[in-house]
Amino acid sequence: MDKPDQRLFAADLNSAEFRAGVLKGYWGLAGTEILPAQPEWPVRILWVQAAVRVGAPERFYLRLDLEGYRTASPTGTFWDLSTSAALAAEKRPKGKKDSRCAKVFRTDWEGGGAFYHPYDRVAAQGHPNWVTEQPSLIWDSNRTIVDYLEEVHSLLNSGDYLGI
Amino acid sequence: MADEAIELFIHSQGAKPKVAVAGPHEVLRDVLVRAEVITEDREGLLVFVGEWEEALTESGEIEDGEDTHDPVDLTLTIEALELHRHRHVHIHKCRRVAVEVHFNGNMKRHRFSPATTIAVVTQWARKKFDLDPAAGADYVLQICDTTKQPRPSEHLGEFVEPPVCSICFKLVKEITPQG
Repeated sequence: MDKPDQRLFAADLNSAEFRAGVLKGYWGLAGTEILPAQPEWPVRILWVQAAVRVGAPERFYLRLDLEGYRTASPTGTFWDLSTSAALAAEKRPKGKKDSRCAKVFRTDWEGGGAFYHPYDRVAAQGHPNWVTEQPSLIWDSNRTIVDYLEEVHSLLNSGDYLGI
Repeated sequence: MADEAIELFIHSQGAKPKVAVAGPHEVLRDVLVRAEVITEDREGLLVFVGEWEEALTESGEIEDGEDTHDPVDLTLTIEALELHRHRHVHIHKCRRVAVEVHFNGNMKRHRFSPATTIAVVTQWARKKFDLDPAAGADYVLQICDTTKQPRPSEHLGEFVEPPVCSICFKLVKEITPQG
C-alpha cells in the first residue's frame, strides 16, 4: 500500500493545476518513452520546459526527493537520464551574473545537489533567515509540486536564462 | 475534432480548480452540474471559457481599460464552444475584476476578465509601468497588505469573492536568495 506522502503526490499529479501545465507542455512526470520506470518512492523524475536557447535542450529533467510531501518540501536537482546521475555542471542551465536564475541554479553550493530556493527542503533548512526575508516563498502543506515546478519553469523561461 | 473525451479545467471563485472529463457532444451545463460546480439553480453565475489575454494588446496610453470577454451560452456543446482548444472554464459572479496595480508611487487600473491568468496581469503591469522587458522579469505581483504572490498560472477570478469584484496588487521585485 502506498504511503500517505506518495498518495498525496499522486493526487496532486491529477490536479487541474498540474494537468493544465502538462497540456501546455510546461512540465510533467518522466514517462516510459524516456525512462523505463520511476525510481522507488520517495524519488520521482520530472521534466520542465525551458525557453529556446542555442545549444540548450528544450527541457530539463529533475530528480526530486519527496519524502514527507507535502508537510516537507521537495529537494533535488537537475538530472541526466543518460548517465543516471546529477547533470554535469557544463550541461546545467545558466543565468545572467548575479540574477535570481543564476543563484537558484548555482552549483557552488551543496555540490549542486539542491536548488538554492526557499521551496527546496535542503536550502530552506540551511537558511532560517529566508522565512523573514522571503515570506512569500515559504513552503507549507498548502503548497504542491506545482508551486515548485512553476518556480523552476519561470526561471527557465525568464530573460535571465542564458542556456547551458 | 475527434470523438474522444477531453480534460477541462474548471475554475470557480475562491476555490481550487477542478478537472472534468467531457465528450465533444455534451452540453456544457450538464458537464458543470456533473462536476458539482453549479446546480440547476445558477442565478447570477457567469461562465467564461479560455484564458483571456486581451489586456496585453492594450495601448500604453489607455487608462482604466476594460476587457470585452463575454460569458458563453451554457446550452452549447463542448465542441461548439471549442473547449478542446480553450480547455479552461470559469464560473464567476463577477463579469470583470477591477485591478489596481501600485508601483513606485504610481497606480494603473484595468477591468480584467476573471479568466485572466496572473501571468497576463503581471505582463500587462510591467508594460504599463514601462519596465524594461529584461529587468522587468524580476517584478511580480503581490496582493496588497499581504505577502502573498500568486503563481503565474493562477486565475484572477480565484482571488476575489463577490460582491467584491476588485483586487489590489503591488508590483514588487523578487528577492534573490542570499546567505
